[in-house]
Amino acid sequence: MRVRRVIAFACVGAAVAVTAATASAHVDRAHTTTVTFWDAYSAGGGEVKTLESVVIPGFEKTHPGIVVKDVTIPYNDLHQKLITGVAGGQLPDLVRSDIIWVPELANLGVLAPLDKAMPDFKKYASRVFPGPLATNYWRGHYYGLPLDTNTRIFNYNPAALSAIGASGPPRTFAQLVSLSAQAKAKGYDLYAESGTSCWNVCPWIWSNGGTITNSTYTKATGYLNGPKSVAAIQMLVDLYKAGEMPGIIINSNAGLGTYDGINQNKYVGTLDGPWMDAIFSAAYPKTQITGSLVPAGPGGSVSVVGGEDIVMTSASKNKSAALTFLRYMLGYGTQAQMALAGQMPVLKSSAKWLTRVHPYYATYVKQLATARPRTPTPKWTQIDQVITTDVAKAFQGSESAQQALTDAAQQIDGLLK
Amino acid sequence: MVVGSRRRTRLVLGGRLTVLSFGAVVMMLPFVYMLATSFKPNALVLEIPPQFFPHHPTTTNYTDAWTSNQFGHYFFNSLWVAVVTTVAAVLLSAMMAYALARFRFPGRTVAFGLILIGLMVPGMMMLIPQFLLAKKLLLLNSLWGLVVFYTGGNLALNTFLLRSFFQDLPHELDEAMVVDGGGPWTRFWRLVLPLSRPALAVVAIFTFLASWDEFTWALTIINDPSKYTLPIGIALFQGQHSTSWGLVFAASAIAIGPVIAIFAVFQRQFVSGIATGAVKA
Amino acid sequence: MSALRPRFRTTNVRRRKEVTAAYLFLAPGFLLFALVILYPIARAFQISLYNWSLVPGQASRFLGLHNYNRAIHDPIFWRALENTGFYMAVTVPGQIILGLAAAVLLDAWLPGRGLFRTLFYIPVVTSWVVVSLLFQYLFITDGGLINWIIHDNLHVVGHNIDWLGSRWTAMLALSILGIWKGVGWAMVIFLAALQGVPVELKEAAAVDGAKAWARFRAVSLSAIRPVIAFVTVMLVIGSFNVFISVFLMTQGGPLDETQVILTYMYRWAFSYLDFGYGSALSFILTLIVFVFAVGQLRLFRRPSEARS
Repeated sequence: MRVRRVIAFACVGAAVAVTAATASAHVDRAHTTTVTFWDAYSAGGGEVKTLESVVIPGFEKTHPGIVVKDVTIPYNDLHQKLITGVAGGQLPDLVRSDIIWVPELANLGVLAPLDKAMPDFKKYASRVFPGPLATNYWRGHYYGLPLDTNTRIFNYNPAALSAIGASGPPRTFAQLVSLSAQAKAKGYDLYAESGTSCWNVCPWIWSNGGTITNSTYTKATGYLNGPKSVAAIQMLVDLYKAGEMPGIIINSNAGLGTYDGINQNKYVGTLDGPWMDAIFSAAYPKTQITGSLVPAGPGGSVSVVGGEDIVMTSASKNKSAALTFLRYMLGYGTQAQMALAGQMPVLKSSAKWLTRVHPYYATYVKQLATARPRTPTPKWTQIDQVITTDVAKAFQGSESAQQALTDAAQQIDGLLK
Repeated sequence: MVVGSRRRTRLVLGGRLTVLSFGAVVMMLPFVYMLATSFKPNALVLEIPPQFFPHHPTTTNYTDAWTSNQFGHYFFNSLWVAVVTTVAAVLLSAMMAYALARFRFPGRTVAFGLILIGLMVPGMMMLIPQFLLAKKLLLLNSLWGLVVFYTGGNLALNTFLLRSFFQDLPHELDEAMVVDGGGPWTRFWRLVLPLSRPALAVVAIFTFLASWDEFTWALTIINDPSKYTLPIGIALFQGQHSTSWGLVFAASAIAIGPVIAIFAVFQRQFVSGIATGAVKA
Repeated sequence: MSALRPRFRTTNVRRRKEVTAAYLFLAPGFLLFALVILYPIARAFQISLYNWSLVPGQASRFLGLHNYNRAIHDPIFWRALENTGFYMAVTVPGQIILGLAAAVLLDAWLPGRGLFRTLFYIPVVTSWVVVSLLFQYLFITDGGLINWIIHDNLHVVGHNIDWLGSRWTAMLALSILGIWKGVGWAMVIFLAALQGVPVELKEAAAVDGAKAWARFRAVSLSAIRPVIAFVTVMLVIGSFNVFISVFLMTQGGPLDETQVILTYMYRWAFSYLDFGYGSALSFILTLIVFVFAVGQLRLFRRPSEARS
């Protein structure tokens, strides 16, 4: 253990040196505060460019004394980096977090409850869509504000739709079933879905009037395996068994991905978010796609909320500067700039001007009005894995939909405690 | 008889060339596919069946990759880290391997056993303990933090490999040098290292590649985009909803360049190898 | 090789000097290794005994060996272990045989030798992310290149094989990728080792008129035996640690059919934040690999070494 002591001495020495150095640096720049902001904006598109060359310079110009240091992290690795940061007590001031991680981070105690830390929280909360706002709620507090949002609608290739002899996209469950059979006769799959997670199947459960848990998120038995939830899954399973849905729903490598399949005239449509139009116009300029609401069931047309929240860490040493930047990110100008880069704004007022940025946003705005967040719980990743696995069993046929969902609900009950 | 044997030699050579060429094609195909995609505009999805000759080849992916973010900067960060790591790890592991292979001393088996264990524990599990350690050592957010941990991380493999090579060097040569009055250092520098050039080349190549390619640790400890390394720069091109594969592949192709260069340089060492005739059969 | 070693007098003084020298050679590297590898391993082992709390300062609950016991009763862990074992059993011999073959073919002079060596090494340097993605596309059931060749063109099989959709075909596809990616690595080491075999030995055997294979076995193969041991052990370790390809190509699915130990470990640790259980899974893996590796080293140990 002598080694460790020597190293400890060396560290202390180095620490003193570094502290001295930074202290002198602070004197020089006594009036600037640096706000660190971790995000996973895409470097390939215009998101990072807009943030770094428009949004942040604009902020720094109007807020002398505050410098924003943005750290862009690949989306697939942000969660791991956050987790390691939690373990080492090394988190930034602000994080643009996927909405499904917020309860987990809040439960770890590393986020500042924004409704307490931000005096004008209510004002900002009242400006944003309620669905995205709800994703910030955990055990009596709001731990963030929505930053951008999205939802899934039925995106399809209109040419393929007329090729199967349909006059319009499926508006109801009944039309989905009848058009699926019609599509199969012409060699198409009407609806391609690429998985069995909540993101994939919850719109059908909710639209059929079912739910995942009770309203206080404490119990899944009786909800996830309730008759309406089971019937929704059963409808999809029946389509799959009839050969009217491609195998990629349980094995993503069974066939072409949803985009490829639509482009190659194998699939008519899929449920997906607002990024799809941009991707299609870049990769497949010859294939037109357009969108319509998720087919309505007895519960209406209810889709799932996606997107990101902006949260502040409780360890942040620059809370007031951080909040200044947070407010700026929710300002009209910033939200409009990011909308141009493909980020769907969260401000209610954006409904009026968003279609001028791009007409395809209209359907998303309409869908968002009723879209629901996934269950806010720190164990969401685990719960979603249970849903993914058990629903896949129903498709694979090793269990009935009823049995699979009952198993899933039982496991989820344990995780919600 | 002579003619027959020459014909046979030629046949054997032809056979070898055929087999090797077939192998080379199989090994190269995915790589060629990658290169082809990197010259396509807007390749968001890979094409099946593959199209090896793009209809409208373009180099925009390369210019975009190089000019976006601070890609050139990442490149030099990676180069610096990989070179320093390679020098340090090769030297330290050669010394360790020399001790383990050519000396008997108390604790040798234990030391070797611990090195074996170091090889086997999945790195992913050490991530958080290493992160906490780096924090204590004030190595977070610094390229030195990469060098120190990459060097430590490559020691086990290198030592293990060099040890098995060093063990094989004929003991007669050592003993001759001992008789001439050569101490352990002299033997290490004058005998073991020169005779092990092929193995040292292999170790250098492996270390360079490992530190050039490492992603998880760099992502974990670096918080300053100006200190990012190349693998992070490449991963940044993978978007949340779609990935521009043309860009990713162009960036990957740029990243492979130095590794192939290093390989081409060091592989000559395999040939010049061990002085033949040093050992009497 | 059979020449007698001249015995030299080993006085105590000389012996002590040699031991000191050995420690001096070992120390710098080993201290660094102990600090940045062994100490974190010990910490990770400690974590595996706890219901570990991620947040510094929050109490972790000591569980003893509970996490290990949990693994033994976890059916997915066992399935992951079988899958990992399958991957090892296929990829290790595959890489050794093909790598050795390539090395032997490239050992003697032939035109373009350096080029061939580089080409065979290219898969090794291409990133796992890129090659996993490429192979995933190759193995797509409906529309992938492999099925397009063997079903649509060659008609070897009557229907499209659901490569990544069922357990053993998926493991086979992953193994093919593993072999393809690793052959160059084994080749490089074998080449270096073959260069160490004195030319006289090879020539002497050739003059004797022995058959090529017998000659190869008697001379080259036995001379590079320790290196084969090294490569085998390294490949066994590497194959037990297979991660990125599975993580990217099948995510352990469908229905956890293709989980390997590390993908399963990653899920528990980094997705579910149960680092205690994740660490326990990795230590079980380490233990298994250790037993394998030590067994192999014993097996390959030369008679001369066993004697001393």
